Amino acid sequence: MSRNARASAVKAVLVVLLLAFTLFPAFWMLSSAFDARAGSGGQTLLPREFSLENFGYVLTEGGFDVFLRNSAMVALVTVLASAVLALLASVAVARFRFRFRTSMLLMILVVQMVPLEALVIPLFVQVRDLGLLNTLLGLMVVYVALSLPFGIWMLRGFVAAVPIELEEAAYLDGATWGRMFRSVLLPLVMPGLVATSVFSFITAWNEFIFAMTLLGGASENYTVAIGLKQFFGEHTNEWGYIMAASTIITIPVMIFFVVVQRRLSAGLVAGAVKG
Amino acid sequence: MKRRLLPVAVLATAAFGLTACSGGSNADSGDVSAEGETLSVWIMEGTNPDSEAFFDDVAEAFTEETGAELDVEFVQWADAHDRFVTSIAGGTTPDVAETGTTWTAEFADAGALAPIGDFVEDEGLGGDLVEGLVASGTYDDELYGMPWYAGVRSLVYRSDIFEELGLEAPASWDDIVAAGEAVKAAHPEMMAFAVPGDAEFPVYPWVWGAGGEVAEQDGDEWVSGLDSAESQDGIAFYTGLATEHGFSSAGATTWKETDVLDNFSQGNVAMALMGSWTPAAIVEKNAELEGKFAATPIPGKDGGIAPSVLGGSHLSMFSTAKNPDLAWEFIKLMTTGEFAEQWGEQSGYFPGQASLLAETMESDDPLVAPFATQLVEGGGTVPVTPKYGAVQAKKTTNTAIQAILSGQKTVEQATADAAAEMNEIMNGD
Amino acid sequence: MTSTIQAPQVARGAESPRAAGGPVQRKNPLVRARPWLLLAPALAVLAVLLLWPLVRVFLFSLQDYGLREIVSGDANWIGLANYGEIFTDPTLWTVVLPNTVGFAVLAVAGTVALGTAVAVLMASLGPVWRTVVGSAIMIAWAMPAVTGTYVWVWIFDADRGIVNETLQAIGLQDEPVNWFTNRYTFYAIVLLNVIHHGFPFVAITILAGLLGVPKEMLEAAEVDGAGSWRRFWSIIVPNLRQVFAVVIILSTIWDFKVFAQVYLMPGGAGSNREALNLGVWSYVESFGQNRYGFGSAIAVLLTVVLLGITVVYVRTMLKEEEL
Repeated sequence: MSRNARASAVKAVLVVLLLAFTLFPAFWMLSSAFDARAGSGGQTLLPREFSLENFGYVLTEGGFDVFLRNSAMVALVTVLASAVLALLASVAVARFRFRFRTSMLLMILVVQMVPLEALVIPLFVQVRDLGLLNTLLGLMVVYVALSLPFGIWMLRGFVAAVPIELEEAAYLDGATWGRMFRSVLLPLVMPGLVATSVFSFITAWNEFIFAMTLLGGASENYTVAIGLKQFFGEHTNEWGYIMAASTIITIPVMIFFVVVQRRLSAGLVAGAVKG
Repeated sequence: MKRRLLPVAVLATAAFGLTACSGGSNADSGDVSAEGETLSVWIMEGTNPDSEAFFDDVAEAFTEETGAELDVEFVQWADAHDRFVTSIAGGTTPDVAETGTTWTAEFADAGALAPIGDFVEDEGLGGDLVEGLVASGTYDDELYGMPWYAGVRSLVYRSDIFEELGLEAPASWDDIVAAGEAVKAAHPEMMAFAVPGDAEFPVYPWVWGAGGEVAEQDGDEWVSGLDSAESQDGIAFYTGLATEHGFSSAGATTWKETDVLDNFSQGNVAMALMGSWTPAAIVEKNAELEGKFAATPIPGKDGGIAPSVLGGSHLSMFSTAKNPDLAWEFIKLMTTGEFAEQWGEQSGYFPGQASLLAETMESDDPLVAPFATQLVEGGGTVPVTPKYGAVQAKKTTNTAIQAILSGQKTVEQATADAAAEMNEIMNGD
Repeated sequence: MTSTIQAPQVARGAESPRAAGGPVQRKNPLVRARPWLLLAPALAVLAVLLLWPLVRVFLFSLQDYGLREIVSGDANWIGLANYGEIFTDPTLWTVVLPNTVGFAVLAVAGTVALGTAVAVLMASLGPVWRTVVGSAIMIAWAMPAVTGTYVWVWIFDADRGIVNETLQAIGLQDEPVNWFTNRYTFYAIVLLNVIHHGFPFVAITILAGLLGVPKEMLEAAEVDGAGSWRRFWSIIVPNLRQVFAVVIILSTIWDFKVFAQVYLMPGGAGSNREALNLGVWSYVESFGQNRYGFGSAIAVLLTVVLLGITVVYVRTMLKEEEL
């Protein structure tokens, strides 16, 4: 009993320390976002003059009402498309043996080793050739490509960990491959799918270089990352707006996580089944 | 030294002789009819706090004049270079764009811009442009950048504190030190003089003010003058304000000019070199400072005015422009007359048309007149070569100043290294 | 003994043609084509949007490719001259490589260690606290890197940052210190920033893997009297070897390429030459000077180095049949 109590005390201390380390920068961000005088920089621990002015400005004149909608669309499509493509591909590399399998896996890794800055020019030309400049679709396709290698590698591990016996049992019950995929494989790789979709969501949500170059002048299609950049000026930085915009950018990711994290817990149940 | 100074007399004479009368000018305004066409334009964001309203008016006037639509796109300064390069690679450049004065020669050198000298001549504008902007817009004896607006840095100081301590605006280097010591003694919590370690433009006035040069062209060869005795003298004085006199702070060793502005508006700084566009921003950030600061031209070593870099923007026509006459109509509309004047008033910059600038000079606003004096009597330019952008990108000067401030190098070492690096970059292929 | 329960299953599953091919063992073309059909959409996207641009980056690296060539569209082949220039530049060997590699080693170790610890902690929490901690670390991950970097810069600001103020208040330091001018303190701050921004990914991923480890295995081990440290190394680590491999490989790739977190620091954009890393160096040396061929060569070099590291990782961490 006392050992248990000590264990939970240690745990509580660890949680507090972790929360402090994790949230301190976020606290800083929030406190500037609510500070009417943050514009002049020189942050203090608490707002010098509490106000919602910065948020009001960012959401109206800053254009974040439109940017949020665009980003949400881009992120949602990117998450769904990359999850589907990555899952299919990961089943192929985890469950089948075929020629060039190993080199294919390495190739998928190699494409994401190149620094993004170096890809800006060729990718811009490529997207132009596809006729997708200035469109959200062009951006979505690029983000799917950027999050695919990670997704495939990640899910490959999860698919491989699903015991083959479960699949065989499904076949014995007369299920087709597609049926087995839906009712056996899919639920079991859900936690992995959640981790990859969080990753692709954040990629699509925060990416800046390609959003800026590929969307060009189509300001009605701008995403939140471009919106944030507009407050960094040549001669002056609008700290209050920057921090308010950052807060607005951070919140949806949190909401997305809270929504999908139930799936993570559902993995517990799945884990109990497979033992 | 003369080369950099742009006295009023020179402003009125021309880089492009007054050859407007060369007959048969068929580019008179009004005869361009471009019904149904659209002109695409890129403008840098943030110069004018209310650019959108301004360009709504411009678009209306432009459509009235030419029948064509105007499509203005606002671009962030920080990312503009990448945007230009990718769109050049993809063949998607606009018809006309605002180009920073140090980019115009670079883009012209690459063949991305269309020359506009003939248009300027036909219009008879040759003699009426601010020379410093003409110089930076010229590449290979051809004009590529139409002077639009200019700004300049001067010495900005807290007039309330100077008054409190009975100080006059500094008129020499000794004055600066004396004022600094007084401020330091009375207000130890303030920085008497901010010396930012990650900014190059506040460095050159001290180099020039001591009689040195940043770089000079000698035949085909560029030679940096940063390691001359005069330049070292100037840089030693400037960095000495921090290292010897302790007027600056440890943090300022890595400051950019934006940090100087932030700290000045928080009331932490008593003196600093700041641009003609900053007073409005300071008051906007901290209304309490209104009327509590003033500007004065940067003093030379023994008095007089030390030249300060004349920065600003051109309007350039890209070689992909479908209808050059239409593009020129827009450039003319923006850079001359009413709209140029309005832009200057709204943005805190000075117009690039000399006759308009002369009008601004009449102003007795204590935060306009000293900058205007600095611009006209002490406006300098950085070396006009397409390679200078590369020197800036490599932060050659910033590196030297930061190394001196942080104690990593002596003034002699740092300037010698900087000069060597500058020579290598500017004379590279 | 318990530790080997799952691994053979994986291997067996992968080798079993019956389960792999489908319900009935048939050598029909559709079944043989199935892996390729499954891969096709992903490969199409990757080939068009990443592989071909990557090939073009390689082609640029063999040219003197500047703004002029971009405008004219002409090729200007110079062979391996760009690579020659990179390898003969002393900055590469004395500053750039040590900074890049040293930083990446520490950042990967720190991120993976902290991330794993947090994942284990989270797995032991009840659902409410798990959600709280999960949401908190999501904030750290979701905060734009730009914003996070500025916040860390503020915290360490020489004149009014809380670190300096605290150190002075408790008397450890007499004068304000500018932490950004020294190479090591500069990278210590970058390290803190990158770990703070990077560990949530590791934590969430490992947690997802942990939740897949059969409870019975852990319970059985506990009954056998294995301590929690022992259970971690003998059950969790072997079971999650693939997940760890992926996390380490990806962290390495990202930490080698770190750019914004260095570039946005005071002096990080090139004015503090001792703080250059590969990403910033390539940007300043080439993109700032319109030498895109040179920049591409650095990018190719970085890719090759990363490829080498990855191959070594894969060889040591995964058995061939697991790959």
